Amino acid sequence: MKIQVLKKPVHALLLLLMLGLTGCSMGAAVQPWEKGTLARPEMTFGGDKLDTGYTEHIYSSKEGASGGSGVGGGGCGCN
Amino acid sequence: MTSVPTTKSTVLGAALLTAAMALPSVQFAYADAAPERGNVSFKYLNYQESQSVNTPGTSGSSTHTHDAISGATAGGSSGSASNADRIGVNAYAISALVPIAGEWSIGTTYTYDSVSGASPTYHTSGLTHMVDHRNVIDLEATRYLSRGTVTAGTSYSKETDYISRSYSLQGSYETEDKNTTFTLGGSITNDSIDPLVKDPITGTFRHEKKDITSGVVGVTRVLSKVDIVQFNLGYSSGTGYYSDPYKFYTSATLVPVSLDNRPRDRNNTTLMGRWNHHFDGTDGTAHFSYRYYTDTFGIRAHTLGAEYVQPIENGWTVAPLLRFYSQTEADFYVATSAAERAATTAAPFVPTTPTSTYYSMDQRLSAFGAYTLGLKVSKQLNPDWLVDLKFEYYQQSSDWALAGTKDSGLATFSARSIQAGVSRQF
Amino acid sequence: METFRFGFQAMGCGCEVVLASDSKKNAQSIAKLVIDEVTRIEQKYSRYRPESIVSRINAAAARDWVECDPETLALVRYGDTLFESSAGLFDCTSGVLRRAWDFSRAQLPDPSMLPALLSLIGWQRLERKGNAVRLGVAGMELDFGGFGKEYAADRAATIVHAKGVRHGFVNLAGDMRVVGPKPDGSPWMVGIQDPRHEKRTIASLPLSVGAIATSGDYERFFEAEGNRYCHILHPKTGYPVTFWRSVTVVAPLAITAGSCSTIAMLSEADGLGFLERSGLDYFAIDHSGQVYHKKQ
Repeated sequence: MKIQVLKKPVHALLLLLMLGLTGCSMGAAVQPWEKGTLARPEMTFGGDKLDTGYTEHIYSSKEGASGGSGVGGGGCGCN
Repeated sequence: MTSVPTTKSTVLGAALLTAAMALPSVQFAYADAAPERGNVSFKYLNYQESQSVNTPGTSGSSTHTHDAISGATAGGSSGSASNADRIGVNAYAISALVPIAGEWSIGTTYTYDSVSGASPTYHTSGLTHMVDHRNVIDLEATRYLSRGTVTAGTSYSKETDYISRSYSLQGSYETEDKNTTFTLGGSITNDSIDPLVKDPITGTFRHEKKDITSGVVGVTRVLSKVDIVQFNLGYSSGTGYYSDPYKFYTSATLVPVSLDNRPRDRNNTTLMGRWNHHFDGTDGTAHFSYRYYTDTFGIRAHTLGAEYVQPIENGWTVAPLLRFYSQTEADFYVATSAAERAATTAAPFVPTTPTSTYYSMDQRLSAFGAYTLGLKVSKQLNPDWLVDLKFEYYQQSSDWALAGTKDSGLATFSARSIQAGVSRQF
Repeated sequence: METFRFGFQAMGCGCEVVLASDSKKNAQSIAKLVIDEVTRIEQKYSRYRPESIVSRINAAAARDWVECDPETLALVRYGDTLFESSAGLFDCTSGVLRRAWDFSRAQLPDPSMLPALLSLIGWQRLERKGNAVRLGVAGMELDFGGFGKEYAADRAATIVHAKGVRHGFVNLAGDMRVVGPKPDGSPWMVGIQDPRHEKRTIASLPLSVGAIATSGDYERFFEAEGNRYCHILHPKTGYPVTFWRSVTVVAPLAITAGSCSTIAMLSEADGLGFLERSGLDYFAIDHSGQVYHKKQ
């Protein structure tokens, strides 16, 4: 089945990305005292939880694809 | 006079800094530290769909055999419906986060939504009304460790015909410099489905189940003082009832015809990348995201998102957003036929059960593209109170599909949503 | 957003916390936390309070083990690094020399006193057993005064930051840790005290992150027979250092800035090389008034 064939390169790509990121060549490591900007709420991936909850629920009930950003959350019979 | 040995000096500066940073609480906490304060948030959502139905419908011939009931399709309306008749949602959610002893946090969210309106029975035609309420309760506990977190969560969701229970566990681990975080998570979901209508094939009420196991691995990496990226790989495997029990057609002879029968297995893989960048010049922050999705239904989807958060004077923040989505159709999607597209009120189209093993005429399984335009405005009233308002407009059309077989017989679908929220810190 | 300034007295000197907040009430409550924390550290590590952990360790020298809490153990470990990486110059047991040097009386010590006191200095003689410590020789004295003020500045700034403040600083008598730039994003301008004119500054440095600390021969001193004797005492000679009038260091943490400026003072002529190789920004004035700063 074509989907199964597709999966492998996707995994390989991700692995490469992860290795690239966690490895070297990303410039000098950011020091703890340089993280003032990174600590701002808008620089995190958390966001407004209730907003994200509503939005993801709407998209998952109107589109074929869902998930991707984490685990958890229940299913529904969104028709 | 004693001197500092030359060869040791550069090491010395670093050694002093490293040693100083081992002292308790002399550095600002930027990592995943237990929240210092709790908060309670409330958010209201109003969502309204609209669609210009492009077929004159199935005038008179479509009447369901069941009564109007909560959670199901009810007394078949027919023909084109005005926008006001389409699905609308009013939702209320309240969440609370409580830090405990600087090492734990407990979070809980309760959501109530009421859904009412009409949705198509097949493709974008044959509108049937439904009304339902959903209650969801989420609970999660997080333990903060020196180099990571462990979160356990559970969720319970109940609709008239659908109960979902979910359990999740997620852990994160930071490298020593706290610039890289690895996450690993898993969840199981057990759904119980009791359609309020009889199976058109067997003529009996069904009790169905759906079990989903999913996992995610991710890495979050600080690239610079103003850049942070995240990659997640997710896999989900589900078995059970994926069909839509309300998508059937009752002919003039009162014989119900099934229009939706989906495979009982659905596995999907997601690959997600996110990048946040801060502009020192404007003090604004841009969020970019991309998700690739593929599943065993044959759907492949790309999702691109961009958002820009700009703080302005007096605690105000504005954040415009853009999202683009495109998917291919499911392998078993049955496109509109020439007869269906040509149907008129005088010569209505009568759907029949397709001959393939699996089939669906659900627009959501067709090839389409969609975009969202949105704007969120928030104001920090004082250090404790935050209010926000968000408006989004969404439009879906087969014309915008990047790949797949476009079904020209589908009408463009659109929706708008308004969110209003308030949050208080303690 | 408004900027509030709160002055207070602690550790025997004038201190201040400056922070931007939307409400005065909020700013006041944070300032109170800062003052409480500085006071807590001052009292916990005071040599003058007999019940303090430092006094108890000193009183039990060569006799009893004193069980220490995690914070004290962390400071002891920091003392280890200071001692090792300064080749013994920064020694937290050198406070005994105060018995010979009385700055309030402005008198040179009896030279015969010094050898006995020098024999009581030696960080390596602080013994450890699990979470307990003991000074090896009777009469030895432990003193965290060499970095206590900077440690307090870092801790206080951390509290301010944890309360959500992103603009402000904590200044404990010139040892200063910045929480974040001014509300408009511009840096705070930090004046550097002229070591020979109490009411004048000799330079000013912009600072939006990190910390700044100055050690100088002007903080506590007396003059006798044409010489200036300051409070920074060399642990090997028992005499005040004389090479630098003042050394200012900019570093990510106040405690690092303070430790580096003190080591530079103690290193005398070698201090310049040390500062240059540390990679940190510095501003130093030698005994002749000559100014040195980081080569770019």
